[in-house]
Amino acid sequence: MRPLILEATEDTPLIYFHPEEGKFLIEKSSLPENAVEYYAPVINWLKEYHSTPNAITTFDFSLEYLNTASSKQIFEVIMMINKISEVSDVTIRWHYDAIDEDMMGLGKRFSHLVNAKFEFIEYENNDDFEI
Amino acid sequence: MGDIFDFMENEFDKININLVELAYKLFTRVKDSDFEYIYRGGFSQNISKKLISLAETNVKKSAGRTALKNKIYFVMVEGLQNITKHEDDKNDEKGSGMFAIQKQKDKFYITTGNVITKENEKTLKPKLDQINILERDQLNKLKKEVLVGGELSDKGGAGLGLIEMARKSGKKLVYDFTDLNEKASFFYFRTEIQGERSLYQESAPSIGKAESIEDVKELHQRLDEENILINFNGKFNRENILSILGVIKGQMSVSSTSKKVYNIMVEMLQNISKHTNNHEETIKNRGIFFLSKKGDRFILTSGNYINAEDIEILKGKINDINAMSDSELYDQYNNILLDITASDKKTGLGLIDIRIKSNNKIVYYFKEIDNNFAFFAMQASVKIKE
Repeated sequence: MRPLILEATEDTPLIYFHPEEGKFLIEKSSLPENAVEYYAPVINWLKEYHSTPNAITTFDFSLEYLNTASSKQIFEVIMMINKISEVSDVTIRWHYDAIDEDMMGLGKRFSHLVNAKFEFIEYENNDDFEI
Repeated sequence: MGDIFDFMENEFDKININLVELAYKLFTRVKDSDFEYIYRGGFSQNISKKLISLAETNVKKSAGRTALKNKIYFVMVEGLQNITKHEDDKNDEKGSGMFAIQKQKDKFYITTGNVITKENEKTLKPKLDQINILERDQLNKLKKEVLVGGELSDKGGAGLGLIEMARKSGKKLVYDFTDLNEKASFFYFRTEIQGERSLYQESAPSIGKAESIEDVKELHQRLDEENILINFNGKFNRENILSILGVIKGQMSVSSTSKKVYNIMVEMLQNISKHTNNHEETIKNRGIFFLSKKGDRFILTSGNYINAEDIEILKGKINDINAMSDSELYDQYNNILLDITASDKKTGLGLIDIRIKSNNKIVYYFKEIDNNFAFFAMQASVKIKE
């Protein structure tokens, strides 16, 4: 299956779904006002992947900032991943900045709403807000 | 002015009212497609870059001709560099600089402000006065002399930057030194740039308008009093929102508090955008936002016009959210996530998120403007974590 790669912009994340490499990443910030439109192709890609999945699929979410419009769509993505977990051995690794209790909390809430396996990974950010 | 507001929330304090009154006052003094952006604080290279892109986005839309845009750009960059040059002059907490860009009808005003030592004031003032008495051709001559003579010290010497600003503006340089203490003053410097309409008119050197600098001085002093870091009064579209967020990112050191402030800002700014962007070019398609810091809190205030028919719905929504316990808030958040029929725009997730992240009630105010519209102000505050 062809990979889905969407480069990050100032307000949309990097999406890197590559079954051959076994990499499934969502990184950086997601702040678009029209999140439904942005995530539609991502969800469609996952639907397709559901019919030809790898034996093992590990999703890495490593998000810095999320607006609520994106939270809802990220949850749609997770619901789709939850479906994939019925046909593939799925792990969702939720990476969060050590100081970002809200991002950790959001991941925990997501994990309670689905059956897919979640792992929580804390990282130290020395970024100091430089862009 | 307090009595004109319809306060529908019991839990407010003096600070909040001051800020909302200020928001309304500032919001309504800017007309039609005009705008006003003011920033106070530190000026790193990063922040300057974001301020320039913020101004650029808006100037692009208002100023048609490239020559005009270039003028504005030049004056802005020069002004921002002047502030950074004098950053080391500041000697106490009153040291934060300020930058303002305003559009009023067909004129643009760029004002910078920074602390300056009395010593530097003594050398700067005669230079400004010298430039101000010169006619256009004399300015050109002086520019050449300075370029050839190379009388430039590290702090600007004969002031090639100042000469260029005077040339680009075609108007007198307007300035003011306000005493801070025996060692330092606050230096305000305002450049006026004539927009489209009379671009080809011979710009007669008019006498510097004292009232215009008084106006921006007064505004800056209000922002100082309320400790407002950024005041954005204009259109809230994607480009503007990203630039404002960039300025704030550059301003705050990274912490759990700054993450919360940033996230709440995103929701508030996009909320204004959602309510205003479908209106025609009037005050109705604009909003106001400021971020201030008082005591142990960041206070975020937004204001914009909304349809009068939406008041009751919005009031009900916020009241409901304010009355919820933590677990009810989380339940409601989950319900919205799980509700596949919830439309993208009116889920109320934003308000719930603001309430959760701020760990505080959302304070709001409505003021009816006419049968169709009302001014709606919203305020959230975040306690600064040690």
